Amino acid sequence: MASAKPRSTDRWLEELKSSKKTCLVSDGKKKVHYLFTSGLEMSEDYDLKTGTMLVRRFKRKSIFGGDGKWEFEVGLSSSRGDEGNQIITECFSNPIFTRVDTSVYFQWRIRNLTYPKSNYIISCNPVEREILVKTVNKKYFKKINIPDMDRCELPFDSKALSFDHANNTLIISYKKPLAILDLEKKVFKEISNLKANEDGQVDCAQS
Amino acid sequence: MTEEAGKLEQIRDITRIDRIGAHSHIRGLGLNDALEPRHTSQGMVGQVQARRAAGIILEMIKEGKIAGRAILIGGQPGTGKTAIAMGMSQSLGTDTPFTAISGSEIFSLEMSRTEALTQAFRKSIGVRIKEETEIIEGEVVEIQIDRPVSEGGAKVGKLTLKTTEMETIYDLGAKMIESLTKEKVQAGDIITIDKSSGRSTKLGRSYTRARDYDAMGPQTKYVHCPEGELQKRKEVVHTVSLHEIDVINSRTQGFLALFSGDTGEIKTEVRDQISIKIAEWREEGKADIVPGVLFIDEVHMLDIECFSFLNRALESDMAPILIMATNRGITKIRGTNYTSPHGIPIDLLDRLLIVSTVPYDEKEMHKILAIRCEEEDVEMNEEALAILTKIGGETSLRYAIQLITASALTCRKRKGAEVEIQDIKRVYALFLDESRSSQFLKEYQKDFMFSEIQTDTDNSK
Repeated sequence: MASAKPRSTDRWLEELKSSKKTCLVSDGKKKVHYLFTSGLEMSEDYDLKTGTMLVRRFKRKSIFGGDGKWEFEVGLSSSRGDEGNQIITECFSNPIFTRVDTSVYFQWRIRNLTYPKSNYIISCNPVEREILVKTVNKKYFKKINIPDMDRCELPFDSKALSFDHANNTLIISYKKPLAILDLEKKVFKEISNLKANEDGQVDCAQS
Repeated sequence: MTEEAGKLEQIRDITRIDRIGAHSHIRGLGLNDALEPRHTSQGMVGQVQARRAAGIILEMIKEGKIAGRAILIGGQPGTGKTAIAMGMSQSLGTDTPFTAISGSEIFSLEMSRTEALTQAFRKSIGVRIKEETEIIEGEVVEIQIDRPVSEGGAKVGKLTLKTTEMETIYDLGAKMIESLTKEKVQAGDIITIDKSSGRSTKLGRSYTRARDYDAMGPQTKYVHCPEGELQKRKEVVHTVSLHEIDVINSRTQGFLALFSGDTGEIKTEVRDQISIKIAEWREEGKADIVPGVLFIDEVHMLDIECFSFLNRALESDMAPILIMATNRGITKIRGTNYTSPHGIPIDLLDRLLIVSTVPYDEKEMHKILAIRCEEEDVEMNEEALAILTKIGGETSLRYAIQLITASALTCRKRKGAEVEIQDIKRVYALFLDESRSSQFLKEYQKDFMFSEIQTDTDNSK
C-alpha cells in the first residue's frame, strides 16, 4: 500500500505532463488549458500573486460527438444561470455549493445556509470515499467527493475534517495530505515553466 | 343541475388538449393476435385485404432484420390509405421511429431534394444507446405556475422537490412547465426530470399521501420518497435518430440547430463517419439499431430524380422500411414525358410490394361516419346518419365527414339535442360538394372572370 501511493501520484503527474498545454495571463490570473490524449479538456486558473488555484474545470465530449459543457471541480461558473435554460434551474435562494481551496486545505463553501451550526452533521466515509453533509431539519444533503484524492488513490482520514458556520455560509475543510501538497508543488513548477501567451493572443481551440 | 353540467364541461376542456384531426380516430390497425383483421376495430373499418397486408409488413418491421423494403399503398381518394399508414404507426408504438412526410414537402429552395430525402431516411432510423445523464428525482412538495402578467409574457413557475434528506426549489422554464402540465404533476407525486432534455416522468404517489386513496382511484401506484441527493447521475437508455446525431456533429450549426430546425445540408463525410461509429458501437454492444418507417404520402409528387435516388437508397443496409401512398392511376412520371402506373418508374415499382385499397361499401361508410361522429363529439340520430351515408355514397366520404361538425353546429343553433335530418339537409344546401360545385361552374362559366379567353386546353381537362 505504502509503495502504491507514490506510483499513483506519479501517474497523474505524467498525464499532466503528456497533455497539450496552453497558457495565458489575463486579469491577474494565469490560465492553463490542458488537452489530454483521451480528448478530455481541463482548464485551471491560478492567482498570479498567491499562486493558489481559483478554478479547475473539465469538459468531455458527449457520446454522440459535439461539445459538452464545462463542469466545475473548483470555483464557480461566472455565467451562472444565463445559459438560456428553457428547462429547469435551481432557484437563486437555494444553497450554492463551491469548492474554494487554500494552500493547506481542500475547502468547500455552501452559501445561503441560514440554519445554525448545530443543524449540520458532517462525517467522513472512508469506504465510499466521500464526505457526507447532512442537516437535522432535512433541508440539505450533499455527498462530497475529492477528485484530487481519487486521482492519487489516497485514503480518507476523518481526523483531517473540520467545519464552521458563519455569515450564512457553511465552510468545510479537509486538510490536504502530504502527498497532495507534494504533487501540487510539482505541478506548479511544471506550469511555471510554461511560456504564457500575451493577453488576447490566444491559441486555443475555440468551441 | 345545469351548473354541475357546466362544471363538468370545464373540467373536460382542461384535460383535452389535442385537437381532432382527420385521422384522430385511428388507434391501430385493428388486427387480432393471428394478424387477422377484425371488421371494425381501433377506428379502422373494412379494407380487410389491405389491413391484412399491412399487418404482415408490421411483423417485418418489428423483427427489424430486413432493411430497405418498400411498400406502395395505392387506391382511390378517400379509401383509407393514410389511415392505414397511421394505424401502422400507432401499433408500432413510440419507440420505433415513424416519419411521415408528403411528397411535395421535399421541394424546397434551401435544400436539394435528395438531401431532404436523405434526412427523412435518417430520421427513420433510431439508435438505442446508453447515456449518462443528470436527473432530478424527488417528491413534489409544491408546484406553482403563474400566468404571465402581460400578454405574450413567458409563464414562470416554481417547483419544490424533496427527498428524505433535503429540499430544493427550482425555477421552471417554459418547456418544463408545458411538460409538467401535460403530465398533470401535483403535490405528492414522485417524479424524475431529465435535466438536459426536460423530459419528466411520474413514478407514482408518495406513501405519505396514501390517505388520499379514495380521491385518486385504484390505479394509482404508490412509491417511497427517494433518498439522498435530489440530483443524480444515472445511466438511461434512450433512442435518438441518426439525423439527430448528424445534426449534433455537423460543426457549422451545432447542437442548437435541432431546435431552430434549420439544419441546411449535412456533409456526406459527417454521415459516413457517424455510420462507421455506430457500426463500432454495435460491435461493442453499446448500441442497438432500431429500424423505423418512412411514410411518403402523395408519392406521385416526387420526380424522376427522386425515384432514382430511392432506388439507390433502398439498397443501403441502413435503410428503413419505406411506405408510400398514391391515389394516381397510370399517369406521367414527374419530370419526364413517360407515363407509368401510379406515376412511378417501372424499375422502382419492381421493388415494391403493392397493396391496394378499394372503395368503401355503404355499410362500411355508415360505420366510419358513426366513428367520426363519436370522435367529433356529435350526437346524431339514426335517420340523419342514414341520409349522411347516402350523401357520402353519392358524393364522397370526405365530404360527408365534413358535414358532421357543420350539421352539429346548425343543430346547436336551433337548440336541438341531436343532429336530425333537417340539419343535414340544411348544411347539404349550404355547402356544395365537388360535383355540384363543378356543375354550378359549368352553368355560370360565362359570368366568371377571364371566361372570355377560350382555349383548347380547357376541354382536354
